[in-house]
Amino acid sequence: MRGIAEAFNKAHVAQGVRVDMSFFPDFQYSEKLAIAAAARDLPDVFDLDGPLVARLVDAGLLAPLDDVIDATERDDFLPTIIQQGTVDGKLYALGSFDSAVVLYYDREMLAKAGVTPAVEDEGWTWGEFMAACAKLKAEGIEPLAMHMDDGADEWFTYAFSPVVWSGGGDLIDPDFAQTRGVLASVENVRSLTDWQEIFMKSYAATDPVDPNPFDHGKVAMDWTGHWMARSHLEAKGARLGVMRLPRVGAQSSAPCGSWCWGISAQAKDATLAAEWLRWVTDAKTGVEPIVRANGAVPSRTSAFEAFPEYERMPYKLFREQLETTARARPRTPFYATLTGRFAAALRDIARGADVEGRLKQAENEVQAVIDRRGGTGGRKIKIKKKEKESEGRP
Amino acid sequence: MTEWERRRARSAPWFLLPALGLLAVFVVWPLLRAGWWSFTNADLLSPERAHGIGLENYGDLWADGRFRSAFANTWVFALLVVPLQTIAAFFMALWVNRPEPAWRMLRGVFFVPVVVAMPVLAVLWTLLYQPAQGGEMGPVNAALAVFGVPAQAWLRDPVLALPAIAFMSIWQGVGLQMMVFLAGLQGVSKELLDAARIDGAGAWQRVWHVVVPSMRNTIIFVVTVTTILAFRIFVQPYLMTRGGPGNSTLSLIQSVYEMTFVNQNLGRACAAAMAFLVLVGGLTWLQRRLLKEERE
Repeated sequence: MRGIAEAFNKAHVAQGVRVDMSFFPDFQYSEKLAIAAAARDLPDVFDLDGPLVARLVDAGLLAPLDDVIDATERDDFLPTIIQQGTVDGKLYALGSFDSAVVLYYDREMLAKAGVTPAVEDEGWTWGEFMAACAKLKAEGIEPLAMHMDDGADEWFTYAFSPVVWSGGGDLIDPDFAQTRGVLASVENVRSLTDWQEIFMKSYAATDPVDPNPFDHGKVAMDWTGHWMARSHLEAKGARLGVMRLPRVGAQSSAPCGSWCWGISAQAKDATLAAEWLRWVTDAKTGVEPIVRANGAVPSRTSAFEAFPEYERMPYKLFREQLETTARARPRTPFYATLTGRFAAALRDIARGADVEGRLKQAENEVQAVIDRRGGTGGRKIKIKKKEKESEGRP
Repeated sequence: MTEWERRRARSAPWFLLPALGLLAVFVVWPLLRAGWWSFTNADLLSPERAHGIGLENYGDLWADGRFRSAFANTWVFALLVVPLQTIAAFFMALWVNRPEPAWRMLRGVFFVPVVVAMPVLAVLWTLLYQPAQGGEMGPVNAALAVFGVPAQAWLRDPVLALPAIAFMSIWQGVGLQMMVFLAGLQGVSKELLDAARIDGAGAWQRVWHVVVPSMRNTIIFVVTVTTILAFRIFVQPYLMTRGGPGNSTLSLIQSVYEMTFVNQNLGRACAAAMAFLVLVGGLTWLQRRLLKEERE
C-alpha cells in the first residue's frame, strides 16, 4: 500500500500534490471510521468493508462515483464489485480485489472412502454432500472444517449466506427494510436445518481448536476462502481438489465482497480524492500490486492477464463463480445489526438450537432496530425522492 | 484572618482551576451531551441531524427484549458475584494472614489473576470450559468426571453459561478484595482478640464478634466496589460467549456498546448509558445509606 502511495506521489509531483496515508489496525476499524464520521473528521477518500457502504450512504457520508468512473471502465470490473458498491442504483465504492469461498478437498482421502467428487463448477447437491460426509465418517476420516471460531462474526454471514440463497431464501427483503417473515422463512428454516445436520452428525467441529486442520491432514474437506488457496496448494499439490459450495436448492450460490474505496461527501479536494481512487483501482497501478501482496481475486477483467494462475484450479473457479453465481451481502443500512444477529443465530443453531425459534428471535431483533429508526428513515426517503424528481426533469 | 491567610484563600481557586477544568471537559461536558442526546433520535454517523423525541428512547429500552435480557443478566451476575466474592475474599484473607514466607507466597499466587490481562484469562477459561467433543473434553469437565459429574457444555448451555462466567470472574477478582481485607485485618486490635480468647470464645465467635465488627468500614468498601465492578461486567462474556447462547450472557455494557457501534443508534445508546449510570449510582448511594461507615 505504501508502495502504491509512493508511486502515486511520484507520478503527481508535477501537479504538486501528494497523498498522505493513515493506517489503522484492522481491529475495530469500522468503529474508528464511525467515530471519525461522527466527529466530521473523515479522510477525503477511505477504505471500508463492502457491506458498510449502504450505511455510510444512508448517513450522507459518501459521494457517488458517477463522474469518477465512466460506463466503459465500469464494465471492466467484476459484476460483484459493482453490485457491492451500488446503493439505490448509484455507485459509491470500488474495490481493487474480490473474494471467494469454495469447498476444497483432498482427492486421496475422498478416494479412500469411495467418494466421487463433483465437477468443479457444479458442486454437490446437499444430499450428495451429506452422503459423502457419512462415507468419510464411516471410514474414520473427519469429513469437514467449517472454521466456526468464536471471534469471527462476519465469517458466519459471509460463508453461510450462500446456503440460505441456494435454498431460495434471503436475509432481508429486496427493499432492505423487512427481516420479519424473511429471515425465518420456510425456505431458510429448511436450508439451515440441513446445514445444522453437519454439526448434529459431527461432520464438522462446532468449537475448532486447529485453525487449519485441512493442511494438517486432519479433515478431508475445507469450506473456506480464496486466502487458503496458496497454503492448500503447497500442502496438497496434485491431491488438492476444489468445487463450488454444496447447494440446498437447484442453484448453487457463492459469497463475494471485499474492502473498497469511497470518497467522502465532504471531501476538501474531491478531484484529488477521485484521482487517488482511480489510481488504486487501476489494473496496473492499484489492482496488480495489491493482489500480488494479499493474494485476493483481482477486481478487474483486464487485471487477470497478469495472473496466469487464473487459468488453473482452484483460481479459475474463484473467477468463474464471481462472474456467475456470486452475490453481494445485503446492501442495507442495518447490515451491521443484521449480520451480528444472524451470526449469533447461526452459532447457536450449529450448537443445536431450534432452527425456527432461533431465526424468529433474530429476525425480530433486527426488525426492532429497523422499526426504531423508521422515523428518520422516512425523512431520508423523502429527500431521495426529491433528488430523483429533479433528475427526471429535462 | 491574617493578611497572609486571606491571600491564600484568594489564590485557592486558581490552583483548583486546572483540575476543575479537566473534570468539566472530560466528565461533566460529555455527560451533559450524552444526557441531551438521550432525548433525541441522534444517529452516530450524523448526530447533527438529531431532533428531540422526548422520552421515547427510555420507553423503548423497556420494550427492547435484548436490553431487558441484558438488565436481568447483569443483576443475576451481580447477585452471584458480590456475596460470594466478598465472603471468599474475607476467608482467604483470614487464611493467609500469617507472616511466614509460605503464606506470603500464597498471597502472591491468589493475586496473580488480578494482574493478568482479562482477555488472556477469558481465552484460558474458554479452553478450560471446553465441552466434550469426540473423545476430548476440557479440563473442567475432566476434573469433574473424577467425581462422577457428567460432562457439561458450560459456555454453550443457556442455563450454565452465566454462572460459569460468574465463577471465573470471582476467581479472577477475589485476590484484589483479599488484599484489601488483609490490610483491614492489620487494624484489628490484637488485645481484643486475646481478651476474647481468654474469655473462652471459639474461632468462629472471635471472627463474628471481634473481627467482623472491627472491619466494618473495610467490608463496606469492598461490597461497594465489588458491586460497581460487577455491574460493569463486559469483557468476560463478550470474549467467551459474545453474549450467547441466545442472549443468556448479554451484559448491560455490551448492549450499550452494540447500540452505539453496531446499530449506531446514538440516542438510544445514550439513554441506556444514562439508565446504567442512574442504576449504579443509585445502588452505591443506597449501600452507603444502609451500611453507614463509622467515623471517629
